[in-house]
Amino acid sequence: MNSNEPTGSTAESLDRSSIVIWMWLVGLLGAGMMVFTLPIPRIPALLLIFGIAVFKATLVLRDYMHLKGEKILIYAIALTPLLLAIALALVLIPDIVFRR
Amino acid sequence: MSIGVETAPAEMQVGYGTALSPSGKLGVWWFIASEIMVFGGLIGSYVLFRVAHGGWSDQASHVNWRLGAINTLVLVTSSLTMILALNAVRIERRQRAARFLLMTVLLGLTFLGIKSIEYTHEISEGFTPTSGMFWSFYYIMTGLHGLHVLGGIILNATLYIAAVRGTLWSGSRRSRVEFAGLYWHFVDVVWIFLFPLLYLA
Repeated sequence: MNSNEPTGSTAESLDRSSIVIWMWLVGLLGAGMMVFTLPIPRIPALLLIFGIAVFKATLVLRDYMHLKGEKILIYAIALTPLLLAIALALVLIPDIVFRR
Repeated sequence: MSIGVETAPAEMQVGYGTALSPSGKLGVWWFIASEIMVFGGLIGSYVLFRVAHGGWSDQASHVNWRLGAINTLVLVTSSLTMILALNAVRIERRQRAARFLLMTVLLGLTFLGIKSIEYTHEISEGFTPTSGMFWSFYYIMTGLHGLHVLGGIILNATLYIAAVRGTLWSGSRRSRVEFAGLYWHFVDVVWIFLFPLLYLA
């Protein structure tokens, strides 16, 4: 057997890791729903809910989309439009403020 | 952040090019970048409009958050089956890969089925895309996302058929599962943000 070929045990280890991430995602979904249903003040609840969403998205990007081991070029490709979209929203905020 | 998760060893990763030879993977990331701009623009516009118009919370209270939560679970689980399919492809376990690809397709169809139940219920209650700005955004964002799910289902079904026929396993064709996975996980990430924005906020 070629020493570069993946072994079954390595693959099982990867499967286990993927299942651990899924359990985290399900747990975080439950946590988000708990925050939503509990009588928590609106602003802290929203901050928690969106904090959980960012954490979930980070897990998917990092482990399922393998960003953890990617080259900087991939990060640049992914982050540039994200920053542009955020900038687009930020530059429009004054328009909303002055309309009020 | 470390929660005991491993990255695939280099020899198990498929679809990589060198720095000087762009691979299919680079193309998929370019495509995802354009999608980030589309959904980022939509989400940014929605947040700004919502901040400017306080009455939207009343309209948002009519969406069925329980079905939305179930759909989130369905999509997150489909991401798991997709990555398990990729892991199986990496070690040439063909039947296992095909089985997980089929499960991903079925979970995608389940997502669309639940979404269509939601649409039917909302439209029957008189909440159509012309019922107000919230509902316009709701139908545009969930509809566009649903189209992306449909695209992913078609892609994964094609890969499943190729896996069953045995045409998926030659050389670079295996990397198509990784590319399809990148797209599918991105669709999942989009929903991770759409769910709290439209159902919980």
